[in-house]
Amino acid sequence: MTEAYRINNLAVDAQQKQLLNIGKLNINSNQSTAILGENGAGKTTLLHTLAFIQPGVSGKFLVLGQAVNGTLSAALRRRIGLVSQQPYLLPGTVLENLQLALRLQGFKTGMHAEQIDLWLQRLNLQGLVDTDAAILSGGEQKRVALARTLICQPDILLLDEPFAHLDQQHIHQLEVILHQWAAQPGKTMVFSTHNRFQANMLADKTISLYQGKMIDTPFLNVFHGHYKMPVFDTGKLKVTTSMEDIDANVMAVDPRDIIISKIAPNQSSIRNSYPGKLTQITADSQGVRLSIDCGERFDAIITEQSLRELTLQPGDRLFVSFKASAVRLF
Amino acid sequence: MDYLANAMIAALGLISSFDADLYQIVYTSVYISVIACFFAALISVPVGVTVALNSFPGKRALQHLLNTLMAMPTVVIGLLLYGMFSRMGPLGDWGLLYTPTAIIIAQCLLIMPIMINLTITAVHTADPRLLPTLLTMGARGFSLTWQVVRVTRVAILIGIITGFGRAIGEVGAAMMLGGNIEGFTRTMTTAIALETSKGEFELALALGLLLLILAFMLNFLMSALQGKAR
Repeated sequence: MTEAYRINNLAVDAQQKQLLNIGKLNINSNQSTAILGENGAGKTTLLHTLAFIQPGVSGKFLVLGQAVNGTLSAALRRRIGLVSQQPYLLPGTVLENLQLALRLQGFKTGMHAEQIDLWLQRLNLQGLVDTDAAILSGGEQKRVALARTLICQPDILLLDEPFAHLDQQHIHQLEVILHQWAAQPGKTMVFSTHNRFQANMLADKTISLYQGKMIDTPFLNVFHGHYKMPVFDTGKLKVTTSMEDIDANVMAVDPRDIIISKIAPNQSSIRNSYPGKLTQITADSQGVRLSIDCGERFDAIITEQSLRELTLQPGDRLFVSFKASAVRLF
Repeated sequence: MDYLANAMIAALGLISSFDADLYQIVYTSVYISVIACFFAALISVPVGVTVALNSFPGKRALQHLLNTLMAMPTVVIGLLLYGMFSRMGPLGDWGLLYTPTAIIIAQCLLIMPIMINLTITAVHTADPRLLPTLLTMGARGFSLTWQVVRVTRVAILIGIITGFGRAIGEVGAAMMLGGNIEGFTRTMTTAIALETSKGEFELALALGLLLLILAFMLNFLMSALQGKAR
């Protein structure tokens, strides 16, 4: 599989603060990748880095097979499009914004009308073509910005929280458009979200960020605390771990590594087991997600068959168990 | 008190009767400052945008220097250029001393720091999403500078008008480099200084009134533009 991005030793610094520190990041082409993380985790910084508009970046970049040192060539710039969380539209009408994008990317004037009509129609913007961009609603601005980006036919589409501030109808419409776009051959989509369900639905792969670092666990069951070998203390629970990291102040457990039982597991190799109360059962793209309150809230993913066999319902008393080796520290 | 009142009446008479000498001076003054303003803007706006958009070592020091130059006394510029343009100076052969060109160059140098600084401020106070958006849209080099100027044009124009106001009101450099030659380098400010010392208080007062009207018009224009920018 070819790669849209191959990045080594990526670091982004701003005013004595490190915003990102990722040793190795590969993003496959012809795939959709979701960036997951809390607010301030570095999602926007990473997308801006991938769009080459982030200052203070160091690292080794290979973009669509070409080495990039500092600034993008005009040809590569044309192949990468970014839609920000709160997009900025230039003064003028919707049409003028679209025309300017084509002009700046060096498209011949003859191609403008055809492309513009196509994307105005797909994004349901025909009625707004002569409207002043300054008076559009947030959702309309987002659609115009998306049209302005897609009109230039990029191969890589970067989207920062594309579904934020949109109503349900437009979220669905946008999901369909993005899904269709990403299904075209040679297209790569990278989008940030804090919604794990949306990520799983649209993306082939997810990247989880925590405090500027990439963590290899889905973004669930992440707890702050102190580590004193071999126990991580969250303040509410003491968790035994097999990893050694004296600087660790965060731990995470993959929800798929959690075992749910109605009775306490005894005489097993499982080092961590906590009684708790089932608070929520929700559907997940990978199965069924259970939320259990054990003092800390744990999320576990089980199969539908397990759910049926355990005959669970909210309020049930359960045991959450996992091995010491399932605990990641960072 | 009668003296002042009579002078005021006479000055208003000169203005309302479109006195040829009076308006010749006004024309020279406006002509010199407009040309100085044009060339200063031609250099300052791209320089200001470039400085604002880029990070480089010494940028902060450059901005401190520009702030200092904004308050530079006009006689100091007059003195420095006098040294350059006088017959014994390195550019003496050009024969610029006591010509409108010398005043234009002086005014240009005087107002460039103001225009550069206000252009930098105009770009820095623009929406922080402007630059990243233009970059992702493929703007670079001239197209990037042009689009930034287009978006921040009202704030930049206010900087240009401020520069014009400083140019038309300065007296030191115009006096030292222009020599106050009637019909040639006699500007409103140099004429006010000269006519007053000659006892021609009415003409000086008429020029002073016109200068005030001009300043008022410029301020009015700036307020209107600032209102539009909001």
